[in-house]
Amino acid sequence: MKELIEYIAKVLVDNPDDVSVTELEGKQTSVIELRVAKEDLGKVIGKQGRTARAMRTILGAASTKLKKRSVLEILE
Amino acid sequence: MSSVEIEAKTTQEAIKKACKHFNLNEEELNIEVLETRSAGIFGLAGNKKAKIRATPKKDSDIALAQEILTKIISLISPDAKISVEKKVDDIVLNIGGNNPGILIGPKGKTLEALEFIINKAVNKASEKRVRIIVDVENYRQRRQEFLERLAFRMGEKAKKTRKTVTIDPMSPHDRRIVHLTLKGDCQLQTKSNGEGFFKSVFIIPNKKKIDKNKND
Repeated sequence: MKELIEYIAKVLVDNPDDVSVTELEGKQTSVIELRVAKEDLGKVIGKQGRTARAMRTILGAASTKLKKRSVLEILE
Repeated sequence: MSSVEIEAKTTQEAIKKACKHFNLNEEELNIEVLETRSAGIFGLAGNKKAKIRATPKKDSDIALAQEILTKIISLISPDAKISVEKKVDDIVLNIGGNNPGILIGPKGKTLEALEFIINKAVNKASEKRVRIIVDVENYRQRRQEFLERLAFRMGEKAKKTRKTVTIDPMSPHDRRIVHLTLKGDCQLQTKSNGEGFFKSVFIIPNKKKIDKNKND
């Protein structure tokens, strides 16, 4: 799960080295926290949050397969 | 991604040669000038040729798109296979596998998200805008056929009841199909109503036209 978000974020931003992802795993739900460089924040969120929504959708699909739930948090 | 280095008397000539080599137009190549021709001192010492490196753009876009999609898919469902098809302006990536449901998602939402991310990533790198279409086992065609049938059915209903029929909120792409399907029908009008996710299509029967037909 973590690699998935990390990879997607890295192809979208200008500074892939500043992408960091942490995963807080729970029994049912895991929270994935994404941090990017300040100037790339807009790139991972997108117009009207469209990119962020797309990432959450893909994350949701990936979690379904593992019969889990995941939440994506984008941190400033 | 293949690139070639070409030497010629002038840069222009080198570019021409590169075009011939790939059988592509100049705009379809990424050209990097490595060395420009220098006349040399008093036209004696230097007899350097112009040197360029040319890389076909389309190739690189396709390769990039395929690489990104392969990686993302492999993290979601490892046994999927991707085939690439090049159309005039679009690149179509078709995913095949034994678990297409997960990659499509409810009403094609996951597929849409994948397509959006890949388009964004690829267009960030290339100058020319390319459109990438992601498809899972011809889902798009099936969806289109389904929507066309739905549009016709709802159109008939609107004509029969002479009342406006509303279709559930849909994505812009899906709405477009409904509009296009009913465009040719002069007894109906279609309109989109609502905002954002909740935008839905209204199918409105054209009362005047129906009355006219009756009089005829």
